Amino acid sequence: MDTDALKERRDPPAAELEPKPPSPAIEVEHLTVSYGPKPALLDASVSIARGHLVGIIGPNGAGKSTFIKAVLGFIPVDFGIVRVLGIPASEARGKVAYVPQRGSVDWDFPITVKDVVLMGRYGKLPFWRDPGREDWKAVREALETVRMAEFIDRQIGQLSGGQQQRVFMARALAQAGEVLLLDEPFAGVDAATESALLDVLRRAREQGRTLVVVHHDLATAGEYFDRLLLLKQRVVAYGTPEQVLREDLLSEVYEGTLKIFRSLQPKETGA
Amino acid sequence: MSGLYEFFAEPFAYPWFAKALLSGCIVALVCSVVGCLVILRRMAFLGDALSHAMIAGVGAGYLFTKVVFGYRAHAPSMLIGALLAAVLTVMLINFVSRSSRIKEDASIGIMYCFIFAAGLVLVTRFQDLIHIHIQHFLVGDVLSVADDDLKLVAYVAAAVLTCIVVFFRHFQIAAFDPVMAASLGFNVGLLDYLFTLCVSLVVVSAISMVGVILVVGLLITPAATAYLLTDRLNRMMALAGFFGVSSVIGGLYLGVALNSSGGGSIMVFCSLQFLLVLAVAPRYGLLAGWLRRRGRVPQDQVEDLLRAVLKSGTVQQPEQLAQQTNQPLHRVQRTLKAMRKDGLLEETGGAHALTPAGLTQAKRVMRAHRLWETYLQRVGTPDAEIDARAHSLEHIYEEEAIDYLDHKLGHPLTDPHGSEIPADFVHLESGLPVMLSLLRNEQRARVVSLREPSAGIELKVGETVVMAGRGEEGKVWSIRREDGRVLQLPHEQADRVIVQVLTGEAAPIKG
Repeated sequence: MDTDALKERRDPPAAELEPKPPSPAIEVEHLTVSYGPKPALLDASVSIARGHLVGIIGPNGAGKSTFIKAVLGFIPVDFGIVRVLGIPASEARGKVAYVPQRGSVDWDFPITVKDVVLMGRYGKLPFWRDPGREDWKAVREALETVRMAEFIDRQIGQLSGGQQQRVFMARALAQAGEVLLLDEPFAGVDAATESALLDVLRRAREQGRTLVVVHHDLATAGEYFDRLLLLKQRVVAYGTPEQVLREDLLSEVYEGTLKIFRSLQPKETGA
Repeated sequence: MSGLYEFFAEPFAYPWFAKALLSGCIVALVCSVVGCLVILRRMAFLGDALSHAMIAGVGAGYLFTKVVFGYRAHAPSMLIGALLAAVLTVMLINFVSRSSRIKEDASIGIMYCFIFAAGLVLVTRFQDLIHIHIQHFLVGDVLSVADDDLKLVAYVAAAVLTCIVVFFRHFQIAAFDPVMAASLGFNVGLLDYLFTLCVSLVVVSAISMVGVILVVGLLITPAATAYLLTDRLNRMMALAGFFGVSSVIGGLYLGVALNSSGGGSIMVFCSLQFLLVLAVAPRYGLLAGWLRRRGRVPQDQVEDLLRAVLKSGTVQQPEQLAQQTNQPLHRVQRTLKAMRKDGLLEETGGAHALTPAGLTQAKRVMRAHRLWETYLQRVGTPDAEIDARAHSLEHIYEEEAIDYLDHKLGHPLTDPHGSEIPADFVHLESGLPVMLSLLRNEQRARVVSLREPSAGIELKVGETVVMAGRGEEGKVWSIRREDGRVLQLPHEQADRVIVQVLTGEAAPIKG
């Protein structure tokens, strides 16, 4: 199947006038992305319905971040189609909000909390116009939602890890994107922050948004998300946690590095 | 006073001085503003490379107009030539770093030296045609700015500043978060080129003044000075512009006073300005950092006090604490103040009590300390050393590390001095599944599962047991079952029984 054939399967514009089931939040068909001879993603196809809180799991180098960047339209794809809310990813500007990995942010950048959150509004702001009252209102509301309003004038490097995550979460909320992509938001935050952050994610889902979260911790994946996407270059499985967290699938993907999952719920002490 | 006035007014008697001052200020202003983005994007080295590449471009531009049109060219051909050289340099750098294993910094070094050297050959070979003084090019000549140069500088500055102001948000987001910029529909690649163009333009306009070697300083030093003073990009740009202009003014007067090179004096003044700010900047300065470190209370003092308060009940006067921990009173008081600020202690009438957070932390430190003592004794550390060594190890209280020690030592109840080791309050919360071996005396729990291999363990899932104590030097766990019978379990088996604590006897404290 070639790219043209895939494009033809898109609905004609006239069909959009008639009531029909809403298009999925994210639709990926036969996606292949590579940075060299080894593909980062290979023939990945998945359809994520709206309103889910989805965790992406998989070992290091499984293409989790690549998947996110492809949905954002940030990287060129070798083959395949990515649609967001029924629109090709390259045209869905601003509909997808993004929370970067903590390590990829320059925390010394001269920027305050409110300026970071304001970036969520940049997509709708023509370059000749200054941010107006509505933009600042959205910024304040987003910060209140993540309980960071009191830090509005802080430089971002002077916040704790969890607070930094919440600021970027607020930016995504201010963008009012219907689809939120988060790259390892739980990495390096303490347990209390993790549950506070999860709370924010769940509330966003309740508002009808779709959240896709790259997640590292298999032990909590089943509890946090209502859908899981197990990646290893290919889409190994997509479905409810029960469908995905199966020992045969996981051991295939993790190749025996699965100690955490085999152990019991309580933390094992010692060797 | 009149002496001072004369010092500042006299240089204006020379016609070149006012011109140098004006063009210098314009160049420095725009250089510094662009420089802010240069340092935030870590492009300082590329800026240096672009400035060196200029000589080839300028030489080629002069040669071209001379050979083709037959006249001695000035500003425009120099500008266009310089831009072409900049584009060529950037393309070559990208080509080498993308198509080979050579990393970007090395590619920059290789390619800019190549273009610079080619420029040197070109200019010296056709010296009679293009009249460029290498000396002038290398160190600049701020005192001989021509009217044409001044005009060019003004146009370039106006264009670049307009570009930065109009597309401020674009440049900001592309520098801060290019992925998001792209997802919002900004053309990040195009912005990169636009920005490189801006850098090239300001560099070429600054070269005639301070020369190739110093131009990178004018680009980044005022920006770096401003970076130490503010946390917002727009203010940083404004401050950088100010520092750029003040460098030119101060530097030119310095040059006049010392009768020295104009470009050199400007950069010396600029760098001194940076060093001064580096020393005294309110938040990011060295002095402020030193004061902060001095005011910080060492963690081990906090831990000592936490343990002391926990050990001897709850209420403590500072004097008692000082005596117990063998620390001078003033230090104890400072530490207490810091702990109150962190919410570990609360004060009532001069006496101190632990807050819930403080209690948790104190237990954590105490448990770590006593487990480490037990460990040290077990590995054969001489008794005399145990205390001191445990003291330096107790700051290792990360959960998993402590779990490891506890398990390895067979979940001991007391340390070598016979003091009780606080229970594992992290896992021993009622309702959470834990290993039976973690239970303390008289705790009730329900068996929820048995881990394999469970052969030989008489207990059944669902039954309630009470911890009845330990025997054989703590190596055997005694369990009282519902029917009153007592069951003996060795460590291995006690670890395989997973239970839920039924009552809050373990004083559940959230970690």
